[in-house]
Amino acid sequence: MSENPFEVFKEDMENEEVYLRVNAIHRVRIICTLIGIDQIKSQLIPYLDSLLNKDEDEVLFAMAEELGNIAEIIPNQSSCLLNLLEKLTTFDETLVREQAVKSISIICQFLSDLEIVNVIVPMWLRLAQNDTYFTCRISAINLMSPIYARAGTQKDIMRLQFFELCKEEALMVRRAVASKIGEIAQYMEKSHVIGELLQAVKELCHDEQDSVRLLCSESLMRITQILNYNEIKAFILPLIILQAEDKSWKVRMALAQIFADLAIAVGKDIADNQLLPICLNLLKDTQSDVRVMGVKSLLKFIKFISPEKLNLIVPNLQILSEDSFSQVKQNVCEVIGLIANLLPKEYCQNKLQKCLFDLMSDENTEVRRNAIKSVGIFVMAIGFEQLNQFIPYLKKSMYDPKWRVRKETIQTIIQLALQVKQLDTFTQQLEEAFLLFLRDRAAEVRSTGLSQLSELISVYKQEWALSNFLQKCVEILEKDNGCFFRINALYAIQQISFAVENYQVEQRLWPIVQKYLKDPIPNIRFVSLKVAKSLLKKIENQDVLIQIKQSINEMLDDPDRDVKFYVQEALQY
Amino acid sequence: MNNKAASSKQTPAVRQQPQAAATASQNRTPQPIIQNMARVTDPKHVPKEIRDQFLKKIHFCSQPYDFNDDTKNVKEKQERSQYLQELFDLLKEPNFVVNLVVPHLDLIIEMIEKNIFRPLPILKKTATNGEIGMEDDDQLIDPAWTHLQPVYEYFLQLIVNEQPDVKSLKIFITHSFIQEFLELFDSEEPREREYLKNILHRLYAKLVPRRKMIRKAINDCFYTLIHETYKFNGAAELLDILASIISGFAVPLREEHVIFFKTVIIPLHKVQTCQFYHEQLLRCSMLFLSKDPTLATFLVEGLLRYWPFANSAKEVMFLNELLEVLEVCEISKLEPLIPKLFKRLIKCIAGPHLQVADRAMCFFENDYFLTILKSYKPFTFPLLVPVIAQIADTHWHKVLQESLNALKTILKEIDYQAFDKALNNKDPKYLYIIQDAKNQKKDRQKIEEKWKNLTKQAIQKNPNFKEPIVPYSDTHIVGEHNGLNNGNITIL
Repeated sequence: MSENPFEVFKEDMENEEVYLRVNAIHRVRIICTLIGIDQIKSQLIPYLDSLLNKDEDEVLFAMAEELGNIAEIIPNQSSCLLNLLEKLTTFDETLVREQAVKSISIICQFLSDLEIVNVIVPMWLRLAQNDTYFTCRISAINLMSPIYARAGTQKDIMRLQFFELCKEEALMVRRAVASKIGEIAQYMEKSHVIGELLQAVKELCHDEQDSVRLLCSESLMRITQILNYNEIKAFILPLIILQAEDKSWKVRMALAQIFADLAIAVGKDIADNQLLPICLNLLKDTQSDVRVMGVKSLLKFIKFISPEKLNLIVPNLQILSEDSFSQVKQNVCEVIGLIANLLPKEYCQNKLQKCLFDLMSDENTEVRRNAIKSVGIFVMAIGFEQLNQFIPYLKKSMYDPKWRVRKETIQTIIQLALQVKQLDTFTQQLEEAFLLFLRDRAAEVRSTGLSQLSELISVYKQEWALSNFLQKCVEILEKDNGCFFRINALYAIQQISFAVENYQVEQRLWPIVQKYLKDPIPNIRFVSLKVAKSLLKKIENQDVLIQIKQSINEMLDDPDRDVKFYVQEALQY
Repeated sequence: MNNKAASSKQTPAVRQQPQAAATASQNRTPQPIIQNMARVTDPKHVPKEIRDQFLKKIHFCSQPYDFNDDTKNVKEKQERSQYLQELFDLLKEPNFVVNLVVPHLDLIIEMIEKNIFRPLPILKKTATNGEIGMEDDDQLIDPAWTHLQPVYEYFLQLIVNEQPDVKSLKIFITHSFIQEFLELFDSEEPREREYLKNILHRLYAKLVPRRKMIRKAINDCFYTLIHETYKFNGAAELLDILASIISGFAVPLREEHVIFFKTVIIPLHKVQTCQFYHEQLLRCSMLFLSKDPTLATFLVEGLLRYWPFANSAKEVMFLNELLEVLEVCEISKLEPLIPKLFKRLIKCIAGPHLQVADRAMCFFENDYFLTILKSYKPFTFPLLVPVIAQIADTHWHKVLQESLNALKTILKEIDYQAFDKALNNKDPKYLYIIQDAKNQKKDRQKIEEKWKNLTKQAIQKNPNFKEPIVPYSDTHIVGEHNGLNNGNITIL
């Protein structure tokens, strides 16, 4: 029992397998809890220090993480871990450095402002001024935001040093600045943000390397959050325009990617007036990837556009729906669905209905699928009077070679049917396409069709279910030679039984099921059996009940093993 | 028959077009510059009209066109390639170069920049997303390449040409020029990378005052590859250039070059896409070692540190390199690395992958390696002998079993006594490699038991103690993710 905890740890750390050493490092907090602060300082820290130069990155990564956890155990003494972490922030491997930075931020929470000024800031300056390894300077940039806010009298020095780093010659460092400067702005006094930081951002946006410029997009968005209307107009907008017109498509794509978030940050007024033209340009970009991102962002951006300007988007959607790149078209489908709810019905129908028809016949599966999804929303938006124009397309889609498209179609048809709520419209227009699911080749489509049958019956009542629909099912059961279609028809009958009145079950449904208990195909027999079993619950007439039980009993001698199994199961009731 | 008739009818129509375009452009510029220049008697005084003609053509070639779409600006593109050819022809006559090209180098370089410095396109295989399981190994071809190639060719010849001297060229080859130029190396078009390589190579050779700057920019490129992007299409080409740069380094190496070796060449081994440039990387490494053999131990250390995980093809490459590097190492300097080295080798031999095991066995055919083995006999024998002896009896593959037996004999011949001693005193610490999983699990259980006890004590001492989550365990996602719960590796 009385193991020396530190020895156990050391023993495990000698292990040959890296993953076991990683595990051991993660358990170091057990050791720390047991051995106390003095031994941590005198034994554990020197031991960990000795590992730094010989162990593998994976172990060091775990160590960087655990040091943050140890800090939580010894919050008041946590500054003793800083030396180790400082070394880790200089390492070659990015992941190790980043983890070490995270742990230092944790320790900063436990330190007093005085310690920050006296211990952390000097450490930060050492990292920021290290000329040999650019890795240190990158770590310094990552550490800027947690430290700066509490640096007190040292703020000026830190700021000066930081703006030095912004002008750094090393590409890697400039990239780190570009991606972090937005976050750092949140912690800096506004006067300095406007006075100095924005200038640095401007320079980064004009950087000769596109890899630096593209990182600025997100930082611009973050800085925008702390500026007011006039400041955004004066400082940020010109930079956004610059990015939108960048010669590198990567920069334009980065902008397109965060465009919706940017709109949130600048507020509705600027978004509507100033960002909209930029957005429209991104949608016309020559690089397909920029267009894809642009359309994706449009989905969220659309709510910032005032109604009278929405029609500016429509011509673009028409062009995009004929885009040569299918990913663009996939997303356009969604936008069309969304915008249909915002535009006047007639206008929307005139301008976009044709696009949607074309997209439904696209050669790409995903485009067709998304188009059909949007059809549901679109029709509901423009009104069911226009439904008949869509019917030929829906029917065509039910014959699509790809089952995913057919599944989407049947779902859309059901959605529409549930909303129409008029038996005439349903039977005249939708029913024919709907019934196609019964004979679909893909099980997934058939079961999707069944899944909402009971809702559908509750809308169109048993009169419909027991006439047209039941008739179709019986037809399949009688004439079809595909056993899966027939099984599906039996399940459809089961669904009907849930929705109709009891006497109808007795009179109309049971005789059908009874007939197929003696079908030559075993699968049909046991499915009929399962359906018959579920019918039992709805039947009150004793004669019929006895009849059912008798029929089941007769099947006990069935030659098929599976059928027998289900018979026995049914009889246990 | 019908088809033939149709096509023969079409061809004249197609042919007519370029002719028409050519005559149209000839009307505008009656004769190529080269003929006009030939008529000039005093080459030092080029008449203004010829000069204007020359400048006009350069300006024309600087215009950007959409080269991805062959149907747009057909006429202009044709004119452009004709002009480029004329400019190219001018380079053949030293007289013209001195009097016409060199005075306007600024415009020429600008024209080249405007053409080649462009955001690299993503080359897409086909427009439609292919169905799953469809794979085509077609090489990616940039549709704009036919229009870019003449510019690259012109640039290359301009650098190769002896007339433009270092002084006049130097002004244009700035830091930002080089950086943008290097970014082009990421192009997916192999022919473009080949041109880039040749041009950069010549630039480096010619512009001695710019060499340091070029090296630094290449450095940055590799830093990005190592630390950020992990993929760079032109890494192999850049390393090719580096190889010739390195061979020019003076001995003893300057500190700057040693740092480069340690912070770029060695870490390049750990990048996931290392396979694509390993051949070139190996050449660079070996060149470095030929200049300064003491660097070899650092490379061995790096190789052992960045040993690939779950990538046997890369492991084979590492083994090849390791053996080559070891041959350069001074045996006495290797001492701190010996345990790690031999443990790695025995792991490879006992591992499940046949090619890896086979490659590792080749080490023992190397005399220098055997000398290393002999020099550290007290360590290597207890490690190797028991494991080799056991798998020589049990290995599943016949050929490898034979070579294992041969190795056993070799070891026996080296030192019979040490061999026997090692075989009799099996050190359990090293046997774990071939231990079966059940026993291993039992051993592991003992240590896990200790940890459990310690955890209990910790909770007693501090009720708020949060139990650590270890990443590698039977039930944890990391273990499952890495396929570690396949029964071959002990996890608790």
